Amino acid sequence: MEVALTSVDIAGAWVSIFLTLCILSFLYADNPIYKLAEHLFIGVSIGISLTETWYGVFRPNLVDKLLAGNLLSIVPLAMCLMLGMKVVGIFAPAAGKKLGWLARIPIAFVVAAYAGVKLTGEANANLMTQVAQSMPDLHTLWIEHGLWDWSADGAGVISGIFLVVGLSACLLHFYFSSPHGPAMRVVSRFGVLVLMLSFGASFGYTVMGRISLAIGRAQELLGLDRSAAQAAQVHPRIASVLSLVVVVLILVIWRLRERRPQAGA
Amino acid sequence: MLRLLQRFQALDRRWVFLGMAISILVPLLYPVSFSFKVDERVRSLYDAVEELPAGSTVLVSADFDPASRPELEPFFRANLDHLFRKDVKVVVLSLWEYAPPLVVPILDEIATRDHKEYGKDYVFLGYKPGKELAIKAIGENIPKTFPTDSRGTPIGQIPIMQGFKQARDFPLLINVSAGFPGTREYVLQIQGQYDLRIASACTAVSAPDYIPFYKAGQLVGLSGGMPGSAQYEKLVYPEGPPAGVRLLGMQAINVLNLGHLYIIGLIVLGNLAFFLTRRVET
Amino acid sequence: MKRTIPLIITLLVGLFMIGEFFIPHYRYRIWTAEFLEWGLILAAAAFVLGLVNLVQVNLPKVLRREEDWGYKLVMLLSLVLTLIAGFLGGDARSEAGHLYHWIYDFVFVPLNATMFALLAFYIASAAFRAFRARNLEAALLLTAAILVMVARVPAGENLPVIGDILPRIMNWIMDVPNTAARRAIFIGAALGAVATGLRVILGLERSHLGAD
Repeated sequence: MEVALTSVDIAGAWVSIFLTLCILSFLYADNPIYKLAEHLFIGVSIGISLTETWYGVFRPNLVDKLLAGNLLSIVPLAMCLMLGMKVVGIFAPAAGKKLGWLARIPIAFVVAAYAGVKLTGEANANLMTQVAQSMPDLHTLWIEHGLWDWSADGAGVISGIFLVVGLSACLLHFYFSSPHGPAMRVVSRFGVLVLMLSFGASFGYTVMGRISLAIGRAQELLGLDRSAAQAAQVHPRIASVLSLVVVVLILVIWRLRERRPQAGA
Repeated sequence: MLRLLQRFQALDRRWVFLGMAISILVPLLYPVSFSFKVDERVRSLYDAVEELPAGSTVLVSADFDPASRPELEPFFRANLDHLFRKDVKVVVLSLWEYAPPLVVPILDEIATRDHKEYGKDYVFLGYKPGKELAIKAIGENIPKTFPTDSRGTPIGQIPIMQGFKQARDFPLLINVSAGFPGTREYVLQIQGQYDLRIASACTAVSAPDYIPFYKAGQLVGLSGGMPGSAQYEKLVYPEGPPAGVRLLGMQAINVLNLGHLYIIGLIVLGNLAFFLTRRVET
Repeated sequence: MKRTIPLIITLLVGLFMIGEFFIPHYRYRIWTAEFLEWGLILAAAAFVLGLVNLVQVNLPKVLRREEDWGYKLVMLLSLVLTLIAGFLGGDARSEAGHLYHWIYDFVFVPLNATMFALLAFYIASAAFRAFRARNLEAALLLTAAILVMVARVPAGENLPVIGDILPRIMNWIMDVPNTAARRAIFIGAALGAVATGLRVILGLERSHLGAD
């Protein structure tokens, strides 16, 4: 049994539709209502980030532990204060000059931690595993799929060889330590063609992804993201039409006001 | 003729925008449904969940935001329903700061519908910043990383979390990933080190990047973008959705038909005009 | 000292975190877990610095009524209101009925989603104006793109005759050339990441410490 929407929620749904059209007005031109919505977005998103950061990490991992008497938590607190030395200079330039260097300590800690984990992660998962999996087991491929198995989307010995040759060609294409000779140029060209196939496929997926996002917004404007009962309470299509009229009116007024000084001149 | 071609190529882009808007709105207003097949990668993901015995617990990292909702929310909803119907318990966490207010209502809604109890059948541990460091910390020690859940309850007092200290204690990790940090970071940081079974639902933009991980066995299943979500919904609800459940993925997938046709048309027309212009000029 | 101490910390912490991958001993792991937690807290603290900077840059512009001061005022007010709503809401802030939940659902969600939805329109414009098959490489790219766009949608799968073949070709492109190309990029990027990581840890790369 669906709960009836409150008037606050219905008003919110109309605000949501109006703000959607404010952002979409950018497709016509950069205009004041887009700028207003954009700045509102920045303010709200930073507010949400900070709120979630407080509840997600500061309170449970620092404040609660300090209040519980965990002395080791003084170390991250001290490092946070050292990091704060970066902004002390704004309010007290003399102190900032003297103490600003302290911010390097927590920065060094974080950068080193990231460097350490990224190094091992990339080396293991991308170098070791990906290279190992690129050595085709031709015997098994031959037994399971033969030369080319159409029913398995082209799996087989030919694809296995193509993969390792293509991979090698792409890697050699990115080798710039010495000039490419005639043989290398052929290999490099083949690598480029393999890259183009990949980027083309990527573009196709990207188009699909981007259109999906627009579909989501269109579903809200038409009320298709809600149940029929909720849509009957919110009247999203009426909200969309009215919001569109308001947005268009604002754009027309803005355009006329922009042109008026030019007409006067 | 040359002038016409040149004017066509210099067409104000706002007409192109209008065409895009029409190609999205028309199929929504006048839906046409085509059947579609299920990818082997999505089926693998479905099978990985199907293999879970009742009473087991999975870790779900819900790393998406409102911008990626159309692509990933349908999967997330269907996946939760799939897990709950199999009596699999769910521990959810997030690495994206904009995810919790989106994830919590969905989780509560589906759990309530499937008669699941918070703390016993599911829990939301909350959000952690730090990207790769957070993932490493999840692999290392979950109670230390999440001393409380999102409601402030100490993790030691939550029944579902008893006996789970590291990511490898879970038989499956499902990552609903909209970008960075996400599946790639999970694979790089902890999949190999702890030999984890990870399944991923990602946006269409990321899917080509994650296919090599799937081919290398670093992912046990992969659902890419809205088609992936729609295919997963088809597997979870083979006879259609139960009452009160809307399958947003399956509803939206056919809207892509006209959108893609429009883009292809633009590419073809643009190239046609370009080559004709060159021919006329020479 | 002002650079030496941070460089020593970089070296020690970096080596310690590399060791985390190889050393399973529980005493070592107790400290790696502790370091990781400190890293999370510092990552969050850096974000707070960003907020201070934002206010420090924009508040004077509002007070001095500089250009676009109205928009910046809206930004600062919405930031403050969201923070107040979030902190007043407590652990139940994401539940229906709370102001924070309302702001998230009806202000943040449409703005965030629509910002990214604009990309659909720009990709259409780019497709029309910029994607030209000027040479073999570009033609191959466009062919692969069109093939994926047709094969990925239900209408493409239901085309007569080619409806069965196109998805297979698309899957082959994703499984073979795409995997080969991506792996090459990953391997190259991994080599770069390893080299850069070592340079940072060994103190050869010091840009993160800033100028003296």
